[in-house]
Order: sequence, then structure tokens, then C-alpha cells
Amino acid sequence: MQWLDTGKIGIFVTLLMVAFILFNIARARKGKKELFIRRIPGLNAIDDAIGRATEMGRPIFMVPGIGTLNAISVQAVNIFAQVTKTASQFATPIRMCIADAAVYTVAQEVIRDVYQRQGMLERFDVDSVRFISDRQFAFAAGVSGLLHREKAAATFLLGEFYAESLIFAETANSIGAIQVAGSTQTSQTPFFVAACDYVLLGDEFYAASAYLTREPVLVGSLVGQDWCKIMITAAVFLGALFHGVERSQVAAFEWAPYAEANEAAFSALSDDAKEKVADVQVQVPSSAERQGIQALKKGNETMLYRIFNPNPSAEDLVIEREKKPPPPAAEGEEGGE
Amino acid sequence: MKQNRSVWDKLQGIDRRILYSILMVLTSVPLFITVALPVDPDPSSKDFYATLMAVPPDQTVFLQSDWTNSTRGENGGHMESIFRILMSKKQKFVIYSLADPQAPQVFRDVMLRINQERESQGLPRYKPWVDYVDLGFFANAEGTTVSIGNDVRQTFGSRRAKDETGVERNVFESPVLQPISKVGDAGLFLIVTASNTIDYAVQRLSGKVKMACACTGVIGPSALVYYQSKQLEGVAVGLKGVYDIEYMMNYGLNVQGADGKTMVSFSEKPTVTAPPLTEGTKFGRGSKYFASLHAALGLVILAVVLGNVGMFASRKKEKQS
Amino acid sequence: MILAQLDPRLNFFGKAPYSLELWGYVTAVVVLGIALIVAMTKLPTRARKPLIWTSTFLAGGFYVLYWLWPQPVGRGPLDLPRNSVEAMSFWMSDAQVKVADVANILTAFLLCLGIYSLLRVHTNRILRKHEDRFFSWVLIASMFGMLVLGYIDWRQRTFLDKDGKLLEMANWGFAQFGKDLLFDGLFQQMDAAMFSMIAFFILSAAYRAFRIRSVEATVLMISALILIISIMGAVVYGWNNMITSMLPVDSAPVLNNFKISEIANWVRSTLQTPAIRAVEFGVGLGALAMGLRLWLGLEKGGVTV
Repeated sequence: MQWLDTGKIGIFVTLLMVAFILFNIARARKGKKELFIRRIPGLNAIDDAIGRATEMGRPIFMVPGIGTLNAISVQAVNIFAQVTKTASQFATPIRMCIADAAVYTVAQEVIRDVYQRQGMLERFDVDSVRFISDRQFAFAAGVSGLLHREKAAATFLLGEFYAESLIFAETANSIGAIQVAGSTQTSQTPFFVAACDYVLLGDEFYAASAYLTREPVLVGSLVGQDWCKIMITAAVFLGALFHGVERSQVAAFEWAPYAEANEAAFSALSDDAKEKVADVQVQVPSSAERQGIQALKKGNETMLYRIFNPNPSAEDLVIEREKKPPPPAAEGEEGGE
Repeated sequence: MKQNRSVWDKLQGIDRRILYSILMVLTSVPLFITVALPVDPDPSSKDFYATLMAVPPDQTVFLQSDWTNSTRGENGGHMESIFRILMSKKQKFVIYSLADPQAPQVFRDVMLRINQERESQGLPRYKPWVDYVDLGFFANAEGTTVSIGNDVRQTFGSRRAKDETGVERNVFESPVLQPISKVGDAGLFLIVTASNTIDYAVQRLSGKVKMACACTGVIGPSALVYYQSKQLEGVAVGLKGVYDIEYMMNYGLNVQGADGKTMVSFSEKPTVTAPPLTEGTKFGRGSKYFASLHAALGLVILAVVLGNVGMFASRKKEKQS
Repeated sequence: MILAQLDPRLNFFGKAPYSLELWGYVTAVVVLGIALIVAMTKLPTRARKPLIWTSTFLAGGFYVLYWLWPQPVGRGPLDLPRNSVEAMSFWMSDAQVKVADVANILTAFLLCLGIYSLLRVHTNRILRKHEDRFFSWVLIASMFGMLVLGYIDWRQRTFLDKDGKLLEMANWGFAQFGKDLLFDGLFQQMDAAMFSMIAFFILSAAYRAFRIRSVEATVLMISALILIISIMGAVVYGWNNMITSMLPVDSAPVLNNFKISEIANWVRSTLQTPAIRAVEFGVGLGALAMGLRLWLGLEKGGVTV
């Protein structure tokens, strides 16, 4: 009898994290105490970069990666909205190059809105936000060409980047632009680290808008994320500890009856189900263990392993249901012919 | 001032054009040399080959091809090897792309090439509909991956392909897809990728089907995370991965050759064995490019060493002056 | 969503493939879609906010519910649900595929907006006689060239070539050669050329970045060098064999740990993989928080304005 539906643990943990974030947002909104965010050098460099571009009279380039419209590109556009806000005050020209049509539509709205809010709609150039191409390397070629021709003074490469990251970073480096970069793709961060002046690592990218605006909602959410990280760290630490302790225990004394029951249950399964519950097969102890010879628990025999790798029983996997009558033509495909 | 620059100063600031020219020459020349260098394949490549060879011949393999011509140096080699292995095993497979609309044309080109190669070797062509089904491109990689895990018949059900007689029919009427009612019915879910579609696949399909991946060197570190957590059965990373597979296609894994020698042994998993291929080309793109890879990496190491030597020498000089 | 799940014969799009009736429906829906987009662009900003929030909440709500609701276990294609919970899970699992389709259709509409932006920028350049207008001409000509030839080629292959003659180059016509030249001959090769440039950039970036300036930089450089060498199969093979030849028979001495493959695997599994996992935890949490704020309309400024 299984008392705990271990398949729901993931959902429970996620909901707990959602609760942490929402609780901290609510806490920050009350605004009793200002929450602290550590210094992030890459974000401090934004003002310097804009100032430099203003002095040189050259544009600022912003690229929100080549991903589709998702949390990453939305966050990149949010950061660029802040950059544009500062740039609009100094009439510094901006260029935002976009590879996805949906992101383009959103970005254009956001940037126009920034100028409007600043009361400088006349400074907004419709062509400053551009759709270049949704093909990765056509986009890379297009942006590199623009960087070269327009001699960017500063580049902000923030978002979902792939192989084009180094092309942008090295091109911008060759024209002497200040570069602030950050990618959620761990595979691209090393390229940025090697080639750019300032790099936002991992979730610093998500912390950026909170850092720049100090909006209570964003700061609260950031603190909520930190709570989640503490929980994950504790889980990793305790997991390693308990797993380690459990694996040093002797596992032989009760194995024989368990193994027989387990084996019987396994052989009762259909072939299809057997494949799904291969772990059961692994758990059948060796003959040495069945004879009562002491052995240490294996990695897949600990309680923690089983919590996160539940073994469905035969009854759980095979469910008898009423059937609908089969359709007259195969799936109705030929219905109209 | 410029005339006073010492060799060490110059080493610190070698013109990038000089470096680029050396790299171009060093990588181009070895392309003309095909060498079968001895190698000890990575454990992840060994598992990849063993997994692929262990798929029962009557089960269909799902092959997700998410690469374009830009990464053909790596993924092209993966794809060729995978096709050669599947064809040699007479394994049926379904192929499609999620990452890029360009991708289907690219795998079709590889397919055509391998088929021509087989024909020239007197081997039968792999036929669409009967031996494999080409589903083309599906937009929205993440959404489609969720759908595949949820209901593969509905996801692919809208696609039609020509049968042997040239009549267009629903792909699920083909011998390749007929036995498939859910993704778990596939013998293996194989992804050849140069992008993050591997993340979507692992997040959405893990536990539902056996998975393996062949990816570029850049994506490798993130794919290896899934290999270590056993969510992927095997991973072939980059050009080294291509050559590893080709090497095992020749010599097998944990098996003795005619001379009684085991060329590739897997000491961590001595019970895992996989035979070499029995027909078709075995050394391909990997062995053609492997020497170039060595030359390019050698140059990177040399550049790093020279840069550092130059830096230290000029620091020393500065201190002395 | 609900319409699409009706009996195929009653289904709005359940018409025969390529039939005139289906084409009619598709055209009507495209026109309606464009009209809807135009109407939405005319909305004042104040009215847009609730609309954006409502659609975001509904779309996100579906996926949240889909994820939270118990999944159907061992469902066969003809199974009927046993109770209301299962009925809901069956419905959502069927609807999910349709929701993904809706997202694809929206993307197609948005691509048209992207193309419109591209054409506007480049036609303006041509009309204003910008000094780089030649490139704008090239872009427009390539775009339409690829579009027209690609369409003709697709049409011929799909509808006219019943016995697959066009698979052989000998039977190709103008459209096939044209598409082949533009796509395989030019586009694909240029794509590969752009990617191969990364090799040069890696070299110059490595040359610049891997300097022993600090402790961190030194650690970075050493680990990078180990991993670079580990990819050089022949070097690793030679080195490892040398170590093996130095080992006494029937023993597992410490020397084994000095094989390059061992060191590289240790770096990968002990340093690299946990570091990536840690970063991924942070990034995942960031995405979760961002998604939550967007879904609940908590963002102020930026995208949700």
C-alpha cells in the first residue's frame, strides 16, 4: 500500500516556490522595509555605456537574442526598455535588432511606449526597432553588418543566444564598443565571458529589471527566488546526506521476501508495462543478498531514490475503460473525399 | 616607438588577421588527409553507440533532426553515421524537425547522399514510406514536444506522405508508424541537435521513452548534464563524438576483433557490448575532419601559450625597467 | 479548441484536403485574422492592457491547469473516461494539441508583420536613395526570388509530380534548379560560412581571454586546456597508453588518475556539470518568477506596461 503519491512531489515543490515568490511580492508591496540587492557590475556599466555613446554621438545596439516570445525575450525587452529610458533623455540613438516576429511586435510597442511616457515621442524612430531575419546566420550577418556600418558605441546582448553570440561579441569588440552581455544559455556564457566587457551570469539576467527599477514587485519576486534557492540548496545538502547515510546501511536482512514479492509482481505485468517499470527489475536483489549475506544498499534502493522515482504497480498502469465505437473511416481523414 | 617593441610585446598583440590565416591553412590542409587515428571513445559516446545498436530491429526509431548546414561539420557526421547504422540494422525510422524550417531539406540531402552511396556499394536503397517516413518541419518546438509526449498520433496525424504507389495517405498507415500509438512505443527517441531542443525533449518526454542525443560541441556540456542524471542513455558530443561512433562502427564495443584484440573497451560497463557494422561505409566525415580538429585545437593551445609567455616576459621587462 | 475537437465530419476544418471548400474556409479565416490584428492595432493603449492581460491569463491558465490536473494513465485511442476527473484530463490532453496549433498560426501572422517591417525599412532606403541601397535591392530580390521559386517547386512536387520524377535531377525544371541554386547553392553555403567564422573568433577570443592575470583566470585557463586536449583523441590515446604501460600488472594504482580522459571526465562531472546545474536552477527560478508575474499581470513597465 502506498500512502504517499510520490508523483505529486514535483508539483508540491513548485507550488511551494510559487508561494514563496507571491508572498515576497506581497511583502515588498507593503513596503515596510527596503529589500537589499547586491551590486551587479554589468548593470552598473549600463549608464557608463550610454554616456559614452552620447559623447561619441554613436548609437547603442540592443539584441534580445534569437529566441521566440518567451520569458527570456520578454525580460530582455524589459531591460532594454530601461536602457531606452535613459538613452531617450540624452537623445542617444538606439537600434534594436530582432530575429523573431512576435518579439519584434512586442518590442516595438514597448519602446514606443517608453518614448511616449518620457514625453519625447518625436525622438522615437520607427526604424530603430528592426526585424532583421528569423534565420540565425542571416540575422548574425545582418546585425554584424549594422554594427560595422553604424559604428556602435555600446552593445547590449541580453537574451537567448546561440552560435551567433561570439560573432556579435567579436564584431563589437573589433569596433571598440563597450559590451554588456548575458545569456540564459549556459553553453553561450563562456563565449561572452571571453569576449565581452561585462557579463550577467545565469539569473543575474532576471535580476536586472529589479536592480534597475527597484520596483517592489520585482524586488519582492527576486527575494522569493532567493528563498527558493535556499530551499533547493537545503534539499541538495540533506538529500546527499541522507542518501549517503542510507547507502552505508546493510540491506540484506529483509530482502528475500521483498524480492520474491517484487519478482512475482514484475512477472505479472504485461510486456508493455514491464518496460515502464524496469526499475523493479533492477531492485530484485542478487542471489547472494537473498541468502542473507550482508550487502550495502545500492544507489537505486534508497528511500530518497524511490521518492523521486516511483515504481508504479501493475494495477496502476493497466486501466480498463469502456471503448468508443471505432470511426467509420480512418480518423475521418477521408470524410470529405 | 613601434620599432622598440620586443618579440614578447609582439607576441601579446599578434594581429588577428595573421592568426586567422594560420588557422585557415592549418585546418584546410588536413581536410585532404583521411586518417584513422586511434582513439578511446568517451563513455557518453560508447553508451550512445551501445543504445543505438541495442534497439530491437522491429521497433521504429524516432529521429528528430534539429540542425542545419551551418553545423554540418559536426551534426552532418552524426546524421550520416546514424543513417548508416539504422540502414545497416534495417531499422525503420521516422524523421522530422522542430528547430528550424531549413532542417528537413538538410537531412533529405544527407539521406540522398547515403542512399546513393549504398547503391554504389550494391546495397538496397532505403525507401520512403516502407523503410522510413519523412514528416518535415513542425513549428513551435516546445509546444510540439509537449504534444508528442501527450498524443503522438494526433501530433503527426495531420501529415500525409506518398506510399510506394505514389498515392498520398496518412502517415500512420505506413509500415513505419502503424505500430506507434504513443511515443513510448518507439524503440529509441534520438535527437541530432545544435540547439536547445534537447532541453525541451528531456523536460517533456523524459521517462516516457528511451532517449539519446548527438549534439554539437557547444551544446555538449548541457546535454552531458542529462546523461549524468541518466535522462539520456547516451550522448555523442561534437566532432569527437562523430569519430567515436565511426570508430565503434568499425571495431564494435567490448568485442574482440579477428586478431583477438579488443579495440574499444568499456571498463565501467564490461557487460555492455555492441558489434561493429556488417555493411556499408564505416569511416566517414569524422575521420576526414579529425586531423583538422587536432590542428585547430593545437593552434588554440599554441596561441594561449604564446599570449601568456609574451605577457609574462613584458611584465618582467617592465619590472626591470 | 472545442470546435476542433468535434466529430471530424462536423469539424470546421474537417474538409477534404486541397478541396475548394477548405481553401475557402482558410482564406476566410486569414482575412478575419488580418482584420482582427488591424482592429487591435487601432485600439487605444488603455484598452489594450486588459485585453493583453486577459488573453495572457487565459492562455497561461490552460497550461497551468493542464499541468496541475491528474494525467490520464494508460489511455488508449478509443478509451472513454471513467469519471469527471478523467473526462477533464482527456479533454485537456486533446485540447493541448489544438492550443499548440493556435500558437503556430499566431506565429505565422506575426511573421507577416516582421516581413512588413523589413520591407518598410528597405523600400524607404531605396526611395531615399541611401548609399547602401544596393544591399536593400539584393535583400528584396532574394526574398521574392526564394518565395516564388520555392512556391512553384513545392506546388509541382506536391500536386503535379505523382510518381516522384522530380526526385531525380534529370527531370528538374527551372523552378527546381532555381530553388536549388538559391537555397542549397547560396543560402545554405552562406549559412555555413557564417558559422565557420566562429572558429576564427574562438581563436582570437581564446588568445585574448586566457591570460594568467588572476587566480580565477588561471583556473579557467587550466581547465580549458585540459578539456581542449581531451577532445584531441589521438593525443589522449597516446598519453593514456603511456600511463598504462607504466602501470604494474594486476593493480589499480594512483597513476591511473593521470590519464587525460580521467582528468577531463573529473572536470566535467565534478566541476562543470554541477556548475551548470546550479546556474540552471537560478535561470529556471527566474523564468518561473517572470512567467508568474506576466501571467498574473504583476509586471509594471516594460512588456505589460
